[in-house]
Amino acid sequence: MLKDITLGQYVPGDSVLHRLDPRTKILLMIAYIVAVFLVKRVEVFFVVILFTVGVTLLSRMKLSYLVKALKPMKLLLPLMFLMNLFLIKTGRLVFEWWIFKIYTDGVKNAVFIVLRLATLVAGTSLLTLTTTPIALTDGLEKLLTPLKIIKFPAHELAMMITIALRFIPTLIEEADKIMKAQLARGADFESGNVLKRAKALVPVLIPLFVNSFRRADELAMAMESRCYHGGDGRTKMRVYAFKLIDLYAVIAVALLIAAVVLLNRFLPTFLP
Amino acid sequence: MIRIDNIEYSYDDAAKKALDGVSLTIGEGEFVAIVGHNGSGKSTLAKMLNALLVPDSGSVSVFGMDTKDEEKTLDIRKKVGIVFQNPDNQIVTTVVEEDVGFGPENLGVPTEEILERVHAALEAVDMLAFRKSAPHMLSGGQKQRVAIAGVLAIRPDVLVFDEATAMLDPLGRRAIIDIAKKLNKTDGKTVVMITQYMEEATVADRVVVMNGGKIAFEGTPAEVFRRGDELRALRLDVPTMVELRDDLAKEGLINACDALSVEDMAEEICRSLSKN
Amino acid sequence: MPIIIEKLTHTYMPNTISRHIAVDSVDLTINEGEFFGIIGHTGSGKSTLIQHLNGLIQPTSGRVIVDGYDMSDKKQRVKGRALVGMVFQYPDYQLFDSTVLDDVAFGPKNMGLSVEEAKTRAEEAMRTVGLDPEQFAEKSPFELSGGEKRRAALAGIIAMRPKYLVLDEPMAGLDPSGRRGVLETISALRKELGCTVIMVSHSMEDVARSAERIAVMNDSKLYMTGTPDEIFSKTKELIELGLDAPQTARLAQLLRERGVPVPEDIYTNERFTEWFRGRMSNA
Repeated sequence: MLKDITLGQYVPGDSVLHRLDPRTKILLMIAYIVAVFLVKRVEVFFVVILFTVGVTLLSRMKLSYLVKALKPMKLLLPLMFLMNLFLIKTGRLVFEWWIFKIYTDGVKNAVFIVLRLATLVAGTSLLTLTTTPIALTDGLEKLLTPLKIIKFPAHELAMMITIALRFIPTLIEEADKIMKAQLARGADFESGNVLKRAKALVPVLIPLFVNSFRRADELAMAMESRCYHGGDGRTKMRVYAFKLIDLYAVIAVALLIAAVVLLNRFLPTFLP
Repeated sequence: MIRIDNIEYSYDDAAKKALDGVSLTIGEGEFVAIVGHNGSGKSTLAKMLNALLVPDSGSVSVFGMDTKDEEKTLDIRKKVGIVFQNPDNQIVTTVVEEDVGFGPENLGVPTEEILERVHAALEAVDMLAFRKSAPHMLSGGQKQRVAIAGVLAIRPDVLVFDEATAMLDPLGRRAIIDIAKKLNKTDGKTVVMITQYMEEATVADRVVVMNGGKIAFEGTPAEVFRRGDELRALRLDVPTMVELRDDLAKEGLINACDALSVEDMAEEICRSLSKN
Repeated sequence: MPIIIEKLTHTYMPNTISRHIAVDSVDLTINEGEFFGIIGHTGSGKSTLIQHLNGLIQPTSGRVIVDGYDMSDKKQRVKGRALVGMVFQYPDYQLFDSTVLDDVAFGPKNMGLSVEEAKTRAEEAMRTVGLDPEQFAEKSPFELSGGEKRRAALAGIIAMRPKYLVLDEPMAGLDPSGRRGVLETISALRKELGCTVIMVSHSMEDVARSAERIAVMNDSKLYMTGTPDEIFSKTKELIELGLDAPQTARLAQLLRERGVPVPEDIYTNERFTEWFRGRMSNA
């Protein structure tokens, strides 16, 4: 049933990672991305991979979740690999067959790019795997609050994300029902060229839009009725407080960055 | 405590007045049912009760506060909460308990108290077990109970049900009516129940019948359902049991009476049988 | 020819943790010309069941055969689907065109009829459901009242001249006069067009009044089938299932519990009055 889709990929749990403050997690994810981009040499990725696997184990998540997170990249990763492998023509020629020539720099670059993308996606997906969408929006709102000084609508943005997350399943379900209602009237969504198919969607899109506008109207009224009047003077049901584990997490990521920077410079070269 | 004085209202795009000279007083602790066909003005009236709409002329006073006074809007909404028709369109967040906390959050209630209120409100509608659930996984009736909890967490004195049962199945509908009755009888909340189901109006203290933006007539359920022909003329109905009662009484098979429910009727039938 | 449902099972999200059996080995035959009612509470599987009747969803196992066309076969499904008109619960899910006439003509046009022919059929269908084309043809469907929308949606299906008309909660959310109006239209349709009507409803009163045969769904299974007399003689069971029984059936049941021997086939006011009249004059 379409109803059963879960948004985000949150996996419930009670690990150290689950218990971290969402603000810490968002900031550390940014720091992690920085760390990945700081890596200059292929060998240094070893530390990053070690770190990522370690954190995954800490989250008590099966490593298969990391593999799953990489699934959407199953076309991009090989493509990047092959492009780098064959298009870079510097370094020593190591392989030649017909028109294909592979150079050492090509190999290095191909591995480097793939590792960079893979660690980025796997690492950042740990955030969404261990944080509920609501905690994420709360964390985001809190982090963006200082920007209110420059009139940045932090509360409104968070509210919009929340409402969107709340209504996406409802809208998907509704789209499904509308499609069925029109199928029952002989609508054909599957045959014809792109233009014809796009046109066939009109009888689905119009009811969907009309209903959504009415929904929005009614929701606004219900929110007002429940005393909603913007972000001013609002309190929060969930209060997040930095704890000792947040500090440990910060130290861990700081160590990662330090390790990357140092190893970039001082690790003796193994590779040609 | 709510005093509606000769109000008129028209929507921007409509030629006809949605409300055309309505006056009504709702007392503390009362259970008032408002019935009327689609477009009779009953939902517009509901939205007047907590300043979601303000009258074009006339006035609505809630605990002495005029709904036209924008300074008082928030205070009025703290006193009068509304449960709407479509359960999907009044749940704001992705987790049940977060949604119930939405009202108190808006009011700036301190965190510990929000948690208390959310717990109490979910308990009152018997939805504590679902506090961590995602709203879209609940049934219509369950969602509507969450919506009631969301209003209860604001701790209003008056609860308005604006056709809150219209989209539910009989089980869901009965649960909502039972909750409304309990809130009225046990917790002393004032309840305004706007509905199209005549059976639901029988549990009220007073029934107000609306037609064409006006109050056609009002009275206790017994009084109102004595006027079956007038109700039908207003495109309404009488409860099945009232219909049976009138049919039987017309033939002199039972005494003329004010039976409204299945239990009342069983009583009357037994009485007639024992006399015979 | 009838609609034959054989050992129909439908499982949502099979092979996952959220796997859910919505319909569990249902056997059912719906005869031509019948007014067939399906009752059951929310989640009992009745909506899933009827979506199989015109092949909107496919059975996980079992078969649905409409007038000899097997609905799991892609080619036969097209023919079978043309026989079964399906009206969904909320008209808001189907009304989309700029005028009521165009909207009602959408189905006939999809069937490959010419624009002229489709419009003629649309006007006819509008008259059948009590929407005067003079008054409503050029209106936007979004301007209609709840009851009128319901009629327009119904007309959109009738214009396709289905042999079987499937209605999912056709009266939900309407006021008493709207409910009465739609139910009367459906009965009139049956007489006029002679089509088979399959109505899903949780209003026992409505089903009791109009259906000739009733299926009760409970917990994904077919709990029982029978004439209204047979079904509502089991009022006690229905109530125990968490279903509603007609108020009059409840009254009869309550009287039985108090030792008054009310016959089992009494579940409408008319029958009750008749019985009570007899009882009072006999005594």
